[in-house]
Amino acid sequence: MKVIGYFLLFFVLAMILIVLAIILGDSAPWYFAWIIGTGLLILTSAAAGFMFDTQEDKAKGELQ
Amino acid sequence: MINDTVVALSRWQFASTALYHFLFVPLTLGLTVFIASLETVYVVTGKSIYREMTQFWSKLLLINFALGVATGLTMEFEFGTNWSFYSGFVGDIFGAPLAIEGLMAFFMESTMIGLMIFGWDKLSRGQHLIVTYLVALGSNLSALWILVANGFMQDPQGAIFNPVTLRMELQSFSALIFSHDAQAKFVHTSIAGYVTAAIFVAGVSAYYMLKKRHLEIAKRSFRMATIFGVLSTIGVITLGDALGFIGAHAQPAKIAAMEAMWVTEPTPAPFNLAAWPNQAKQENTWALQIPYLLTPLLTHTMDTKIPGIAEIEADNVVRIKNGIPAVEALKLLSANPTDPAAMTQFKAHEQDLGYGFLVERYAQDQDVSKATDADIAKAAKDTIPDVFTIYWVFRIMVAFAFLMLAFFVFGVIYSLRNDIEKHPVYLRFAMWMIPVPFLACEMGWITAELGRQPWTVYNLLPTWMSASSHSVSYMVFSLIGFVSLYSIFIIIEMYLMVRAIKQGPDVHHGANTGGHTKDKSLGGSVLGGSYAPVHAKALMDEQSAKEV
Repeated sequence: MKVIGYFLLFFVLAMILIVLAIILGDSAPWYFAWIIGTGLLILTSAAAGFMFDTQEDKAKGELQ
Repeated sequence: MINDTVVALSRWQFASTALYHFLFVPLTLGLTVFIASLETVYVVTGKSIYREMTQFWSKLLLINFALGVATGLTMEFEFGTNWSFYSGFVGDIFGAPLAIEGLMAFFMESTMIGLMIFGWDKLSRGQHLIVTYLVALGSNLSALWILVANGFMQDPQGAIFNPVTLRMELQSFSALIFSHDAQAKFVHTSIAGYVTAAIFVAGVSAYYMLKKRHLEIAKRSFRMATIFGVLSTIGVITLGDALGFIGAHAQPAKIAAMEAMWVTEPTPAPFNLAAWPNQAKQENTWALQIPYLLTPLLTHTMDTKIPGIAEIEADNVVRIKNGIPAVEALKLLSANPTDPAAMTQFKAHEQDLGYGFLVERYAQDQDVSKATDADIAKAAKDTIPDVFTIYWVFRIMVAFAFLMLAFFVFGVIYSLRNDIEKHPVYLRFAMWMIPVPFLACEMGWITAELGRQPWTVYNLLPTWMSASSHSVSYMVFSLIGFVSLYSIFIIIEMYLMVRAIKQGPDVHHGANTGGHTKDKSLGGSVLGGSYAPVHAKALMDEQSAKEV
C-alpha cells in the first residue's frame, strides 16, 4: 500500500512537471533552461564530490 | 529647464552605486547554489567534511550577503530621489517587479539565510538542506525580478502609454515577465554569478593548497568548483550569444556600437575583431576584420542585414520628425484630455513619441514646434551611444569569459587527474583569477546600460527627461557621499573576507566521517569564529561518544 501511495505521489508530481515543462518551454524557454540547467549544475558538481571521494578511497586502498 | 550637468551627475551616481552593488551580487547568486550542491553531498553521504565545507563557504557568503544588502537598499530609493520623472512615467510597471522582489524573494532569502547560518543544531539534515535550497532560490528570484524590471527598460513589453494620465500603464504582466530580453538577461546574469562563485572557490582553495592548509577541504572544493565553473561558463557564453541575437532585433544601435559597425555592410558582414572607433568621424581609424563572421554570429543566418550606425541615424531622423506631432498632440491633450483632433493626431504618431521627446532637448524653449533641421540632426546623433567605450568594454568582457573557460578546462583536467597540487603556477594563477569574473560582470553591465543610451526606457523615454531637478551641488555632495561610503563597504568586505579566509574552516571532522582524519593542526580556530557554539557542541558530542 505504501509503495502504491509513493507511486501515485511521484506519478502525479511527474505529470505536473511535464505540464509545467510544456507551458514553460513554450512561453519561457530560457527560464525553463535555467531551472533545468541549475539542477544539472548542482547534481554534476555534487557528482564531482562523490568522484573525488571514490578516487581518494581508491588511492588510500592502493597505498595500504 | 533640465540641467545637463545634473542629468550627467545623476547618471554617474546611479552607475557608481549599481557597479559597487554588483561587486557583491554575483558572488551571492553563485555561492548560494554552490553551497546547496555541497550540502547535498553532505546529506547524501553523511561525511562531516562536507558539512564543514558548507559552513565555511556559508561564512564567506554571509559576509558578502550583508554588504550586498547594504549597498543594494539605496538603489531603489535613488529611482525616487534622482529619477523622479522616470519613476512617475513608468512607476506603474517598474514598481511591480521591484515590490515583488522585496516581498517575495528578498524576504525569503533574508529569512532563510538566518536559518541556514544559525540553524545547524536546530534543524534536521533534510530540513537544513531545504533551507539552503530556499536561500539559493531566493537570491536568484531576487535577481529575476530586478532583471524583469531592467528588461522592461531595455525592451518595453506589456505596457502602453496613456496620453491622458501621461504615464505608462501595465497591460500584460506575462508579457512583462516573459519578455525575451528579461529571460535571457536573467539567465545570463544568474549563471555569471555561478561562474563568479566557482572562480572564487577555486581561487581560495588554490590559496590553501599552496599554503598546504586544509587540503582535504581545498581539494574537494576545487574539484566541485571547477566542474561547476566549466559548465556555468559554457552557459554564460551561450546566453551571451542569445542576448546578442535578441538585441540585434530589439536594440540595433547598441549592437552596431558593440561591433563598431558604422555602415551597413553587404551580407555576410565582416566581424571587427579589434578596431579603434572614432565617433566624431563615424569610422574606425583601423580595424582587424574577419570576413563573413558577424552576420552568422549575430543573426544565426548568412543573409540577414545588420544595419550600420549611419543607416540607424538616418532612420531616426525620420522617426524624430514623426514624433514631433505626437509631442505637440500630447501638450494639447494635457490642456484638454477630450480634444478629439489632438487624440487622433497622437494615435497617428504615438509609435515615435520618444523620438519627439529627444528633440525637445534642443528645440528653442523646449518647444518641438520650433525644432529646426539642425536640432533634429543633433537629436539623431544622440541616438547613437558611445561606440568606443561599448565596443571595448564588450570585448574585454568576452575575452574574460573565454579566459575563464580555459582556466576551468585546465582546472578540471588537473583535478580529475588528482595532481592539482603539482601545478603551483596554475594555483597561483587561480588566485589571480578571482577578480576576473567580477570585472567581467561590471563590463557586462556597462555594455548593457551604456548601450541603451540615450534612453532610460528604450525608444520611449529619453534619459535627459528622466532625472529629478536637483541642484548641481546636491548631486556632487551626494555622489561623493555614496562613493566614499561604498568604498568603505568594499574595504570592510575585503578585510572580513581576507580575515575569514586566513582563519580558514573550523576543522573538527573525524568522527562519523567515513574515514576522514581528524585534523585540528590544519589551521583555523576550532572554537573561534562565528561557528563557535555549533562546533563546540559537535566537539562535546564527539567527546561524549568516546567516553561512552
